[in-house]
Amino acid sequence: MNAFVKWSKQNWLLYVVLVAYAVLAAFHAPEALDAAIRGLTTFVNLLVTLLGVFVLIGLVRVWVTDAFIIRHLGEESGWRGLAIGAGLGTVMIGPLVGVFPLYESLLAKGARPGVIVAMVSTWAIKLAMIPLELSIFGWQFTLVRNGLLFCAAFVMAPTMEFIIGKNWGARFRDAAGEE
Amino acid sequence: MGITDFIFLAVMLALVAYSAFKSGAKTKKALTVGAKQFWNVLPFFVAIFGLIGLLEVLLTPKQVGAWLGPQQGLLAPLYAAVVGGLSAGPPAAAFPLGKYLLVQHAGVAAVGAMLISWTAVATATLPAEIRFFGARFALSRWALAFVISIVIGLLMAWILPLMGWSL
Repeated sequence: MNAFVKWSKQNWLLYVVLVAYAVLAAFHAPEALDAAIRGLTTFVNLLVTLLGVFVLIGLVRVWVTDAFIIRHLGEESGWRGLAIGAGLGTVMIGPLVGVFPLYESLLAKGARPGVIVAMVSTWAIKLAMIPLELSIFGWQFTLVRNGLLFCAAFVMAPTMEFIIGKNWGARFRDAAGEE
Repeated sequence: MGITDFIFLAVMLALVAYSAFKSGAKTKKALTVGAKQFWNVLPFFVAIFGLIGLLEVLLTPKQVGAWLGPQQGLLAPLYAAVVGGLSAGPPAAAFPLGKYLLVQHAGVAAVGAMLISWTAVATATLPAEIRFFGARFALSRWALAFVISIVIGLLMAWILPLMGWSL
């Protein structure tokens, strides 16, 4: 019973979504079916990529030492750490939910919160989408939009560190260590 | 699956092969850790993709276009950021929508804000973000991403005319 309660607490969203579908199905059955099919299609399309991300998580856990993460992405990594984070975020593919667990393990290994913020921010730059953007809006629009988005990571990171407070990273690591 | 997915998978396979070459035991552990974590978060993923499906159906690009339409005014970038931030459609759907809005005489600031918030705000994945990083981190980043989207939209509306850009 205890395990089920814990599971439910972790996966509360599943219940919320089920209720939302039930309500939608009661009034607009075709739309509910359409939504379920779209969600499932997105999931299946991304499943292989998601599995790849979890293989990466396992490899990082086993091969990458905490000291390495702390040196390059840790609290003392400064602007260089943020730049590495922003660069990594730009080349990340797959849905954001898929990379959250990876970023969580980086945080637990000692990465600075700002680096994670930079990675989440530049995830919005989709390299694979740039040809499409170019063909629709032209090079100036594409350059300015993606350039500003990249620069925004360097504003977001210190601002977020200010908002969540200096000790947030240390507390996150403590909590992760206790689990 | 696009070309980037194949490149990613090829890199992953190469990494696993290299890892196995270096140490079979460590590789086995890595794959076990990955599989266990995947199994743990799978129900949550199913819920998130269910949510994405719901938002896609309830908030179609057509609907978004109808709401934003040719609105100008100071509040247009704000509306645009909110609507873009709530949408969960694929990034590829945002660009044609942006063009449609520009053709409908929506402002560059609004369209820019909408395009940025479409991928940067990530409302559908917010529950997942709270689960992995806690509410304080997730909600702050979410709110900040809204503000940044509007700021970037305004900056685009300022810079692009200087570069002589037009659709």
